[in-house]
Amino acid sequence: MHQTVANPAPPADRVSFSGERSTFRKLVTRGALLELVTFGFYRFWLATDIRRHLWSHTSVGDDSVEYTGRAKELLIGFLIAMAILVPVYLVYFLIGLEAEMMQAFASLPLVLFFYLFTEFARYRARRYRLSRTLWRGLRFSMGGSGWSYGWRSGLWGLLVVISLGFALPWRAAALERFKMRHTAYGSLQGRFDGTGGELFRRAWGLWLSGLLAIAIAFATPVIASPTSLIDAFLLLIVIVFFLLVSPFVYAAFKAIEWRWWVSGLRLGEVCFESRLAAGALNGCYWKAVGWSVLFMALLASWLAGMFWIVGELFSIGGTVEQHMLFVSQHPAFLAGSAVGYLLMALAFGAVIRIYLNRDVWALVAQSTVVHNLAAADGVSGQGEAVGAVGEGLADGLDVAGF
Amino acid sequence: MSSADDGAYPAVYYDGVSSRRRQVELRLGTQLDIVEHGSVLASWSYADIRRVDGSRGLRLTSAATAAQARLEIADEAAQRQLTTRCAALDQDRGGGQPLRIVGWSLAAAASIVLMTLYGIPLVADRLAALVPASAEQRLGAAVDKQVRALMGGKSCTGAEGQRAFAKMVEALRTAGNSAIPLEAQVLSSPVPNAVALPGGRIYLFEGLLSRARNSDEIAGVIAHEIGHAEHRDGLRSVIRTGGTSFLFGLLFGDITGSGAVIFASRMLLDASHSRDAETAADDYAIRAMTRLGRSPAPLGELLVRISGKDGGTTIIDSHPVSSERLERMRRATPTNAGPPILTDAEWQALRRVCATG
Repeated sequence: MHQTVANPAPPADRVSFSGERSTFRKLVTRGALLELVTFGFYRFWLATDIRRHLWSHTSVGDDSVEYTGRAKELLIGFLIAMAILVPVYLVYFLIGLEAEMMQAFASLPLVLFFYLFTEFARYRARRYRLSRTLWRGLRFSMGGSGWSYGWRSGLWGLLVVISLGFALPWRAAALERFKMRHTAYGSLQGRFDGTGGELFRRAWGLWLSGLLAIAIAFATPVIASPTSLIDAFLLLIVIVFFLLVSPFVYAAFKAIEWRWWVSGLRLGEVCFESRLAAGALNGCYWKAVGWSVLFMALLASWLAGMFWIVGELFSIGGTVEQHMLFVSQHPAFLAGSAVGYLLMALAFGAVIRIYLNRDVWALVAQSTVVHNLAAADGVSGQGEAVGAVGEGLADGLDVAGF
Repeated sequence: MSSADDGAYPAVYYDGVSSRRRQVELRLGTQLDIVEHGSVLASWSYADIRRVDGSRGLRLTSAATAAQARLEIADEAAQRQLTTRCAALDQDRGGGQPLRIVGWSLAAAASIVLMTLYGIPLVADRLAALVPASAEQRLGAAVDKQVRALMGGKSCTGAEGQRAFAKMVEALRTAGNSAIPLEAQVLSSPVPNAVALPGGRIYLFEGLLSRARNSDEIAGVIAHEIGHAEHRDGLRSVIRTGGTSFLFGLLFGDITGSGAVIFASRMLLDASHSRDAETAADDYAIRAMTRLGRSPAPLGELLVRISGKDGGTTIIDSHPVSSERLERMRRATPTNAGPPILTDAEWQALRRVCATG
């Protein structure tokens, strides 16, 4: 036998992200304000702008990715989805009515149907986004049946519930395998090599500590009901501690999951590898939590201020209870609360988009390397640009991604 | 590589059929020629050339080619040349014409608000008249289960109390000339309220019963609720609430957590409509009570007592106890006084209906 000398592996190509955060911040702030004045209709344009920004600033090797979808497609997809969803909702309502006759809240099984439908919509939405993604002049494509994906997701979800979350990694792997099996770049067939066991090995500690934390927080007051004030106080400290730690745990889990996901992606001979550190996403989640807390504090003080002003201006006296009731039902207070609430919701949305969408995207992209990119050099094109009905359904069912 | 003088610039070309990266040179003549190793791969007319998203340099495509051919130009002189020559470079960029979007959104919002203000009540009125009684009863049965599950109330089954209650309901129904089948019950819930669900279901909550001082106060409340049932207000309100929430859901789509706002607006809209319904139900109560020779005024007094007379009714209150309402009931004194609707013993039995049985 010859001693085979390993060929020096060709230098790995990098994935890079070159977008400026300030540009993105302007984009989402402006988008949020436009969403406000258009009663949310601007969301199609905003989603498209966000995707164009993220895609076009992401390069694989030397070439940046391009998003070719347009907001009008999303709008049309939404309208078609409405045409589908309206009768579905109506039938749902009527069936629910009949079911309620037999037993209150017996219409719960119908929620299952909507779960399947939602998963179907998610699948089709992914298909739309992929078919609008261009790299080196070729588009990605995705086949497969959304329903087939839907029931798989449903069965796996059931298993996850039964196993108290134990089956989560295997569910993720199975669904990802299904999605990637039907994904292609040109004629380059995709697949997913990550396994549930691998994800479990990396994340079981987090899963166990999460389960323990929930068990402790819920079981303690049941087993040893707080008898004194100090007991209750201790319990409160424990809960606050868990609340403070949970963003770290979640961020660590997401980092592990991203790393596992990227490293499992294959397109023909092209494979990806992620070098995302376990603590890399902590900052993103903490910033998002911090800003959200700040916004809630602002909203609380705004409401308190409104309450005081309305009380001073319009109050008619009476007992404290009557005063509370009167002010809290006064139109001026209601209108003020609605405005404050909307502004907070929009600011919250912008924060999520900046820190959890853009920053996470940038970190994941920059920590990714591509091996064997040369295999994608002479690929021929295939696949058509599909319609956006899936996106519309996902939007109508409130599960649209960014 | 050619120099810029003879109009040839370096570029990278992807033909949209294969992902092969081609080093080409551009010749800017009457149209743009893309040349590789001396042979022309493609010729783009300047009017067809469009800019597309790219992070570096200028990335172009041609509107005339079917495939997604892409041309990437890092050379600055070439970029300048092409941006001046291509008149329609940014035509299809569709940066989202915000003014148009804002305008149409406002129009959509206006039409939905008008629909909820005028269209839906109209539809609800027409539809309520068309819905057969059997369907209304089914709806009532469904709502009934929900209400019970939410209020956690059980039916009170004290036998004497039930008899007294049935007697009161029957007397008020006959007096008001109502022909609809009623199903009235007392529920053991501490909430001081009474409701009329679709399908002639009337519930009196124990909380109200315990705060009443005499049987006329309760009789007034029941008459008022029979009025609601007679006018099918429950059905109408179900149709209206469903329609409104549906329309607003369409409008708001996914603005984060707009549910609270929707709820608030629906409450306001519903309340502004139910005033007419309240007046009509009051009319029924006044008619029924005076015909039985009893004053309807205790109804108003009870309502004032439980909601606290503050003079300033808010528009959100679905049972507005305005002084006009009270006045209307006070004015309607019966011409000749009749016997009490319930005897003293019956009234005492009704008050204990939830304690026994």
